Amino acid sequence: SAVLSFCPSHFKTRTTAATCIYSSRSLSLRTYPYMAPTIHYYCPCQSGELLQTPPPPHMASSSASFHPLHSLFFCEECDAVRCNRCVAVEVSGYYCPNCLFEVPSASVRAEKNRCARNCFSCPICRSTLQVVASDPPDGGDGRPSASLSNVGEPPFFLYCNHCRWDSAEVGITFEKPTGLAGVFFLSHTNSRLTAHLIAQLQKFEDSAPESLEFERLKEHFEPFLRTASLSSSSHIPSTSSHHLHTSSATAAASAALARDVPGVGKYNPLARSRVGRDRTANKDEMPEYKSRMEIGVLGQLGSEGDDSDVDALRRMENVEEIASLEQRWGNSWTTSLRTSDLKPLRIPLHSKVSKRCPTCRHILIKPEQKAQSVRYKIKLVAANYLPAITVGLPHASGTDTARRPQTKATGVSDDRNAGILTAGKSYPFHLALTNPLYDPIQVRLSVQRMHVTAVTDGTAPEKARRTPFAVSLPTSPFPVAAFAEAWEYDDDDDMFGLEDDDLGLDVGRSRDRDGKGKIKAVGVLEKRANVTVVGGEVVIGKEARGHVKFNMLVSYTYRSDDPLPSEDGAGTPSRTVVKSPEVKTFTFYTVVDLGPILPREEKTDPDI
Amino acid sequence: MEAPVYYSKAEFIETDTGNKVSRRATIAGPQNIILGGKTIISSSAIIRGDLRRTGPGHAVVISLGRYCLVGEGCVMRPPYKTYRGNFNYYPMKIGDYVHIGANTVVEAATIGNHVVIGKNCVIGKFTIIKDCAQVADNTVIPPNTVIPALALFAGSPG
Repeated sequence: SAVLSFCPSHFKTRTTAATCIYSSRSLSLRTYPYMAPTIHYYCPCQSGELLQTPPPPHMASSSASFHPLHSLFFCEECDAVRCNRCVAVEVSGYYCPNCLFEVPSASVRAEKNRCARNCFSCPICRSTLQVVASDPPDGGDGRPSASLSNVGEPPFFLYCNHCRWDSAEVGITFEKPTGLAGVFFLSHTNSRLTAHLIAQLQKFEDSAPESLEFERLKEHFEPFLRTASLSSSSHIPSTSSHHLHTSSATAAASAALARDVPGVGKYNPLARSRVGRDRTANKDEMPEYKSRMEIGVLGQLGSEGDDSDVDALRRMENVEEIASLEQRWGNSWTTSLRTSDLKPLRIPLHSKVSKRCPTCRHILIKPEQKAQSVRYKIKLVAANYLPAITVGLPHASGTDTARRPQTKATGVSDDRNAGILTAGKSYPFHLALTNPLYDPIQVRLSVQRMHVTAVTDGTAPEKARRTPFAVSLPTSPFPVAAFAEAWEYDDDDDMFGLEDDDLGLDVGRSRDRDGKGKIKAVGVLEKRANVTVVGGEVVIGKEARGHVKFNMLVSYTYRSDDPLPSEDGAGTPSRTVVKSPEVKTFTFYTVVDLGPILPREEKTDPDI
Repeated sequence: MEAPVYYSKAEFIETDTGNKVSRRATIAGPQNIILGGKTIISSSAIIRGDLRRTGPGHAVVISLGRYCLVGEGCVMRPPYKTYRGNFNYYPMKIGDYVHIGANTVVEAATIGNHVVIGKNCVIGKFTIIKDCAQVADNTVIPPNTVIPALALFAGSPG
């Protein structure tokens, strides 16, 4: 892409000069990159009411409603476009990003959202750790010892390939090379550990002080929650409106939560008021909770208080001995400041999500169960329903086709005028529409009129903002051929330009050239396979600024093969009824951005 | 709609399956390298097909899929390991539609389909990159990492 340096005080474009010749201002930081024209599609989820017209594109907040086509979905039931903001997301499965093992949802909670196998991440650099065996004992004469077992010698420890940290530095070793997380993770039934056992097992995860504290809190509140749930359980109706627990994963998770923390019944908003009232009666009877350890005794937590920290800091040699914030802030309580005290972490699980339409709950995206497959069981993406539109400015690439073909590295200097829209001129642009359906469609384009209020910049009111640019598009509908496999298309390599003899471009418009013999820019330019290129023209006013952006309404009609609703299921032998083809129309808005407007220069520099 | 990219015909050797190998690329051991159709190997790329496993018979050291693009100055070497006293190279298998940026060192064991790797990256040994992953520019991926599908990795150590 062309990168032009751009002096902000003189609005001159330079390519290689580092300073503006007029103001001697350094231009190295001012670049005016060529932005290819883009087109985005509108999702009406942000507009709220039934108006469904998009906001004017020159406002900065409008970009939230427009999305590229590849990120949009399409709900067949509602016949509407859905974007990532409005879909309801739910988890469809969990997997470990390191061993790619799919974890069933039930054990996800048990394993605290971490991998239960040998996957650990280095506390220093966060890369994955490798299980290595200790070196076999040396025979004393330098030769490798004879006992070379397949898996190596115990004790095994973890080793980081990137920063060469190993877990023997913190004293964590294992006796066998598999099932390491099980050693790490004690079952939470061992919550009543006495003090000396805690000191021995301090390095392991579940005996960490915060999880022991959490266990104690749970035990303390358990009797009160149970009584509260018993009194309010009679008011909880049977499992009816559980629209929140739509998938088995969340239902299993909530059931596990209910099992684990008694009293937390299934979520029901109807019973909320009643539970609150019952709880207030119980609140007076709750004894005071005494935490397991004193707050001041930070020695057990490892940070050892202020004085010892200062002493340690005085003795430190280099700054790497202090654990950085990024390495420490994942812990719930304060831990030791020293890098040598950092423990390896089990790798957290990733999830695969499925997405639903917010109104009709139809599944739009459902991935496959396998962790590493990128296919989807259900994939209702907008690209399969809406025509894909790409915008191009022919004067950007037109100069290249006329020149001699160059090497693969395209020269930067050739694109000096490429794609830059200068104020006061008019440019043609191309829209290529690709039809994804198996039926031909008729497309109609129209520019949305927008009311640009004159925004005062504070210094001088920009009156020219009322009409910064004028866009002309072909107004009558034009067809786009149906999508078919590649071998079904005839080998019609049309010339890029205007064909005025056949192809049936009889859209009812007069297509003769005007008197001067100029090639018409506005209209259907080319039809090739399932792509139709139409041309439009934009005239930029002399005082225009900003981007050339306009909303475009695209409506296309296609013949749908949906069965008519006359089949009432009464078993009418109506097979001889000829189904009249139903013509459906779908309309959507897009925003076309042709690029920034370069303010008009006094003269064009020939030396660029 | 996209403007065609022009290249000089003299610079590339084109095979009958559509692979375009630059004449200035260094291909060592070409009999051990498999290119799927329509793969482009840019100039100054180095592909080491000569580092093969010890053993009889024909060995495939590096296999690329279709429509791959190996950038300029790229280095592709199969990963090696000393296992039980034996030193051995392992074959490198790359999927379809893989774009590898310029000056990247790739020593991965497996790369899936539709992977985009940026410029100046270092992919460590025995890395497994699943489908549709993306590695940003200037990334250092440590050895033995697994990049899951549809992931984006950046930074060093990645």
